Amino acid sequence: MRLGFTRFVKIFFSSLFIQTSWSFLTIQGMGFLVNLINGVKNDKKGSIIKAHKGYFNTHPYMVSYITGATIRAYDEGDTIEEIRHFITIAQKSFASKGDLLFWQTIRPALLLISVIIGIKYGIIGPILFLISYNIFHLYHRTKGITDGYNKKWDVIYLLKSRRFTAVQHVFEIIGSFSTGLLFTLLAIKISYLLLIPLTMLFIALIAKRYSAVLIILALLLLVIIIVLV
Amino acid sequence: MNVFLISLIGAAIILDKYAFGEFGFSQPLISGTIIGAIFGNVTFGIFLGALLQLIFLGGLPIGSEIPPDGQAAGIIGCTSFFILAKVNSLEHALFLAIIFALSGGLIGGTMEIHARRFNEKLYYLFAKREEFLFPIHFAGLVTAYIRGLCLLLPIFIISSILIIPDAFPGLSKELLTIISVSIGLANGIYLFIKKTTMVYLIIGVVCGLVLLAL
Repeated sequence: MRLGFTRFVKIFFSSLFIQTSWSFLTIQGMGFLVNLINGVKNDKKGSIIKAHKGYFNTHPYMVSYITGATIRAYDEGDTIEEIRHFITIAQKSFASKGDLLFWQTIRPALLLISVIIGIKYGIIGPILFLISYNIFHLYHRTKGITDGYNKKWDVIYLLKSRRFTAVQHVFEIIGSFSTGLLFTLLAIKISYLLLIPLTMLFIALIAKRYSAVLIILALLLLVIIIVLV
Repeated sequence: MNVFLISLIGAAIILDKYAFGEFGFSQPLISGTIIGAIFGNVTFGIFLGALLQLIFLGGLPIGSEIPPDGQAAGIIGCTSFFILAKVNSLEHALFLAIIFALSGGLIGGTMEIHARRFNEKLYYLFAKREEFLFPIHFAGLVTAYIRGLCLLLPIFIISSILIIPDAFPGLSKELLTIISVSIGLANGIYLFIKKTTMVYLIIGVVCGLVLLAL
């Protein structure tokens, strides 16, 4: 059983719009439906809308794995109950791993190193970020579709593979190294007397898990006070 | 550059935040570069975008939580700086641009909540007319674009008419760097530093010192 190039391209392009109609009610529900409908054969489209109308929430780059596996299940004629059961489990697992891998590790680590390079060497920094980030991003978007289709339910075991675990570890190292570089390379020309207490203050605010809104408000106030003083 | 045109471009960049692709074009470092290129000063665009990026490095859109809009803050900060700097001193323009960026980030987050609540109406519409799934889903692009436009346009119009008196306080590049680097360091330490990665932080500090010495 093969997915075919046309279906692959359709799924890939619709996955880029997975969050277009994001709402608190269904999160990515409509986006996932559009993704599925672009991948299944024509005779099943009506029943798919009935079966999957409603809530769906996963990491936007990870949706390809779930879509690929779901389309394979439809191609093989599996029951809607089985497919729904898989989607319920897979969306949570891929969401937490995707958030951890991309939002908490790859993106901030690459941004940190690109910011340092950008300030020191100009345009190379932003270009480096765009290229390196999108290599990982598009790899998961594209490989996720084929792996999901080929492995079907077993796609969930990929979460323990090196593409997730090893990559996360490598980017934690890059992030840690970049934080060290930031401390010396960018901060060397400025006053450590002000930098160190401010850093401690922000660490305390972040570690105590104050909301991001409160931290930005505190920062806003701080900028005004520093400038006025 | 016309404020209407730059608002249209800014709102298009914001689409990358969640409505289309999420390639990273809307991150302050990249949007700062694009806006810098539009205004003919890429170097300062990268610098300002990078500093705003450090401030919003830790704003993680996990689950259904919506943090302040760092992407909008980047676009607002860089664009309003270049607009303000035409008739004001660098320190004055920088101060107001940062105030606009941080406030814009907070307002943008709130507006995003409203835009996503509006998208619920799109879902109800789809529930009634299932055959229109595709146009209803893609109408979300219009919601996201209008949110961006409504956020950016008023701030850019205000920036274009503001002339700041000399007595007004200004923000130096050095002071902004201290504030941004400190919050960037705090974000980096919070996100990456564990017992297992501590050694790489020290290697990073040492490498930085070696690079400075060379």
